[in-house]
Amino acid sequence: MNAATLHPLARDYLKRLKKAAAVLPRARRGELLAEIESHLSEALPAGASDAEALNVLDRLGEPEEIVAEAGTGQVLAPRAGLNEWLAIPFLLVGGLIIPVIGWFVGVVLLWSSRIWTLRDKLIGTLILPGGLAASAFLFLGGAGMQTCSGSSGTRRNPATGKLERFSESNCPSYSTLHVTLAIIAAILLVVLPILTSIYLGRRTTRAEVAA
Amino acid sequence: MQRIVDQGTLSQLRRGVIEYCVLALLRDGERYGFELVRTLSEVPGMVTSEGTLYPLLSRLRRAGVVETSWRESPSGPPRRYYRLTASGRSVLEAFSGEWVSFRNAVDHFLEQEKAV
Repeated sequence: MNAATLHPLARDYLKRLKKAAAVLPRARRGELLAEIESHLSEALPAGASDAEALNVLDRLGEPEEIVAEAGTGQVLAPRAGLNEWLAIPFLLVGGLIIPVIGWFVGVVLLWSSRIWTLRDKLIGTLILPGGLAASAFLFLGGAGMQTCSGSSGTRRNPATGKLERFSESNCPSYSTLHVTLAIIAAILLVVLPILTSIYLGRRTTRAEVAA
Repeated sequence: MQRIVDQGTLSQLRRGVIEYCVLALLRDGERYGFELVRTLSEVPGMVTSEGTLYPLLSRLRRAGVVETSWRESPSGPPRRYYRLTASGRSVLEAFSGEWVSFRNAVDHFLEQEKAV
């Protein structure tokens, strides 16, 4: 209903409520204002008298009181459910079982959770996108770049006319530093997604304890 | 009536139980916000200000014990309907059991006082 069709006293009341509700998070403020406006429209038929309007507003209570109630903590805190306990394995290994899609399922479950905070969700998504499947992919990609062609066998030495064993390859040589860095990177690629899973798991229990 | 009961205690008691009263009202089916609020406030002694029930409904929704949908009403503005979720139903069942033993315990002592 358009607020303009409300009783003038109800309109004033909504204005006061809007001002008092400025301290609330935006979504909660919008929800509260919509509900109270809907309440006023239901309670006050068109052409209601001032006395009727005052009665309805008295029953509603002071805007400050309502806003204080809206600002209080959750009485029944949400608990980790199936959603959360599915999200973690899907994020970690979903991509290994169903490439790409498995991980995306995990992301959807992660972001639809009421337990995890925005920070938890960002960590869950960004470390690492794709989960262990991404690590596996990077490994295979890295190994692919490192393969080198080589051949070995016997051939006749044109100078001496004798058969000789030979082996040759075009493998580049790597320094110890390169190898060390590669091993560290490999460990991080495997460890980081696992750490993220542990972190997300702990964040659900923390929410349960807080409840 | 003499006002000797601490109003803070009473309002704490109300706060503690009113959300379960909301869940109980939804046991047999969905209701819209205004309907819930008016039903609760028509029973004397339970609700002091109707407006504070809306934040409570919002908390119940965020806790996942009720779910809501806005629907057009035959007359007037759209209405937000509330219904119990499976989790809300089990919370209500658990509370109903606890409440009976709590109420009996309180009654037990109050009745004893009277008898002395």
